[in-house]
Amino acid sequence: MRTSPALLATAALLAAATAACSSDGSSSSSSGSAAFDPKTCQGGTLYVLNQSDATSHHLDPARIYTSGGGSVTSLIFRTLTTRHRVPGQAGDQVVPDLATDTGKASDGAKTWTYHLKDGLKFDDGTPITSKDIKWGVERAFAPELPGGIPYLRDWLAGGTDYTGPYKGKELDSIQTPDDKTIVFKLRKPEGDFPYVATATQFAPVPKAKDNGTGYEKHPVASGPYKVQSHEQDKSLVLVRNPYWSRTVDDQRLACPDRVEGTYGLNAAVINQRLSASAGKDANAITVDTDLSPAELARISTDPNLKKRAVKGEFGETDYIAFNTKVKPFDDARVRQAIAYAIGRQSVVNAVGGSSLAKAATTFLPDQAAFGYQPYDYFPAGPNGNAAKAKELLAQAGHPNGLTITLAHRNADYNHDGPAVATAVQASLKQAGITVKLKPYDDAGYGDTIQKPSTEPGIFLATWGADWPTGGPFLAPIFDGRQILKEGGNFNASQLNDPKINAEFDAINKITDPVQARPRWGALDATIGKQALNVPLIHPIYIRLTGKNVKNAYLDQWRGSYDPAMVSVK
Amino acid sequence: MTAELITEAGAAPEAPARGRQVRRRLYADRMAMAGLVIAVVMVVAALAAPLLVHLEGQDATTYHPELLDSARGGVPRGSFGGAGGAHWLGVEPTTGRDLFARALGGARISFLVAFGTLIVQILLGVGIGLAAGLGGKVADAFLGRLIDLAISFPQLIFAIALLAIVPGTFPRPILLMMVIGLFGWGGTARLVRGQVLSLRTRDYVSAARLSGASRTRIALREILPGISAPLVTYAALLLPNNMISEAGLSFLGIGVRPPASSWGQMLSTATTWFQADPTYVLVPGLLLLVNVLAFTVLADGLRTALDPKAPSLRGGRR
Repeated sequence: MRTSPALLATAALLAAATAACSSDGSSSSSSGSAAFDPKTCQGGTLYVLNQSDATSHHLDPARIYTSGGGSVTSLIFRTLTTRHRVPGQAGDQVVPDLATDTGKASDGAKTWTYHLKDGLKFDDGTPITSKDIKWGVERAFAPELPGGIPYLRDWLAGGTDYTGPYKGKELDSIQTPDDKTIVFKLRKPEGDFPYVATATQFAPVPKAKDNGTGYEKHPVASGPYKVQSHEQDKSLVLVRNPYWSRTVDDQRLACPDRVEGTYGLNAAVINQRLSASAGKDANAITVDTDLSPAELARISTDPNLKKRAVKGEFGETDYIAFNTKVKPFDDARVRQAIAYAIGRQSVVNAVGGSSLAKAATTFLPDQAAFGYQPYDYFPAGPNGNAAKAKELLAQAGHPNGLTITLAHRNADYNHDGPAVATAVQASLKQAGITVKLKPYDDAGYGDTIQKPSTEPGIFLATWGADWPTGGPFLAPIFDGRQILKEGGNFNASQLNDPKINAEFDAINKITDPVQARPRWGALDATIGKQALNVPLIHPIYIRLTGKNVKNAYLDQWRGSYDPAMVSVK
Repeated sequence: MTAELITEAGAAPEAPARGRQVRRRLYADRMAMAGLVIAVVMVVAALAAPLLVHLEGQDATTYHPELLDSARGGVPRGSFGGAGGAHWLGVEPTTGRDLFARALGGARISFLVAFGTLIVQILLGVGIGLAAGLGGKVADAFLGRLIDLAISFPQLIFAIALLAIVPGTFPRPILLMMVIGLFGWGGTARLVRGQVLSLRTRDYVSAARLSGASRTRIALREILPGISAPLVTYAALLLPNNMISEAGLSFLGIGVRPPASSWGQMLSTATTWFQADPTYVLVPGLLLLVNVLAFTVLADGLRTALDPKAPSLRGGRR
């Protein structure tokens, strides 16, 4: 266009300005702030505003990998057990969902037996039986439905060779003596089995309606809502499941009549909309977006905003992983030098500052549920200890420094992207370590780092708690028998120490999670001495709700509020 | 865009304007002089960037977490984004890197890519335009269609696609020059071809041909001087367009890779910070705006100086 170069630039700047400006014009429509009452909370539409799809893209319970049944997925799929939906520390506990209790252990926790409640129905009125749960777990083994939690293959007897039910073969270690009873036979004792039963793989799937990879288009609901429409990564609409009621479910309130999710939004825009709370946004929440800088700047001075922000912590650690089979990371002194050199303050700033992250020096998250034991074997301080790092490097035979290539995702949303990588690069530079950055495509990063043959020597990784105990946090990362050569490997350091493996087995025999805690903490502290990875931060979640949203209390397990418990009335 | 630029560049003048006349007209045009001064200052600043940054005592890659308010998201402490004696334009949020150093680094990239692309566009455009204008019917027909194709290509989409598939080890600025240049020579070529076609019928060109001069000699000695005026004007307008293209591609995330800084990329991260730290948006935004404006005004002044009868971009009486 003609005179546009200059005009274009001005226009672009103005457009950016107006887009970034919040349009809240003192909308003080009294939101009838009656106190929340579960008996009268029914009605209205809840809107979910997200950056990414809240169902981890796929609406097939076999493919969903989430913790405690998920936020939005838990509205559609009920599981054998679920997380305890109450405020406070009790939120870390597991309680029955479809089952009558959290399971009866026998045979030294190698066998777990569950009985189903009465009156359970799918969204088409057909009763839910134990065979539906068995089918749901079996189909998670099918190669055409990849993804999901990594425990089934290892825990269930015969799981390693099982390839799913579509060719007519059953998994014999799951037994259904009658329609209301289901028995799981495990390969070795697993005291945490009730926790794994909160995963969506334990949601019932009716065999008659299962068409394999097409099931995700119309999954059958067992929870308070059923799927009206789902456009992957764009939108989700849920309406009430007429065959669900609070009489058969004592965990979920399900107040809104309708839930509408919008995905692919920009983080700053989500926060502006929630903060302005205009129109329908007053009934909106988010399940994946923390406060943006503009809101963080206002939150301490604006009590209205502060009231609507829920702060919590999900058990998660973002860290630098080493592949000890690749030089020079086979040398412990090099790994220790890197641990000493890291300036965690810069990493904390890179992910949003001290309100949204704290420095981590242990692999286990710093919460009692994990048996957290504080330790800091390579004290680096907030800005790194370059002198000590250089000393160690010299000892390891690198007196003139080192050049390494750090692999990372090319997007920042998961805390393993360019922002954190550049901060690590800047810290290590002061210790004489030149870091070249190698970004990987978001879609392929997981596959690359989870396969030992393609695993880079040093890369950024994150790990979240599949449930709040030390077991799932440590085992896939440090248990030598969890090394998977074909993919889906999380034991990046490829540690295979028989003594540590034996300790995993010993702690897994304990069925009381409170008793197991100190053992997990001690195990983490023992492994931590080897500098097999460098913990960087534990994220903190601070998420806004629209101003009409009530009962958004902190769900201890997931670190934010629970869509199954909020209301918009 | 390119079609309109060609008509603005004006028809070939009756005789090449004399250098002194051109300069006098240019110096009298205050807007153009202002543009020239700003442009020169920017280019010099970009060239002298390492010296200037050294004077300031900072660099573009060192993090300064102590200058940030971590609890409020990493926003720089102090007003104007932490601007002051130590950091002349403030620091970057979440990292604390010096903005003056990063802005100058961005200026270098901006000019490097803009000028480099211009060279590609001129070389390809003049070369193909001359060949089409001076060649026989077949050559002209083929090259003419090639030029039409180059003009009608959806530039941005193909640029994005190409930039996405080339491996990261290939130096990004050179890749940008090649890509933007490869999709931007069409306008120049069409202009040159048009001018050549009208010039080749002139008496002095026929005289040269009759005296046995080779086609290359005719091209270089007789034709080129004749098209230099519209070509210079066109090139001067191409420059700010190239700057915008580079900024746009960097804004989309496919320009230069971090930690190298580019104004477009700085703008892209800065939009989230508009409310908390406006300086972070204004620095690259204003720099880009002023730069593009200066070169555009200069180009318009040049065109008017070379051919006072041509309509001015700024419109109205001069």
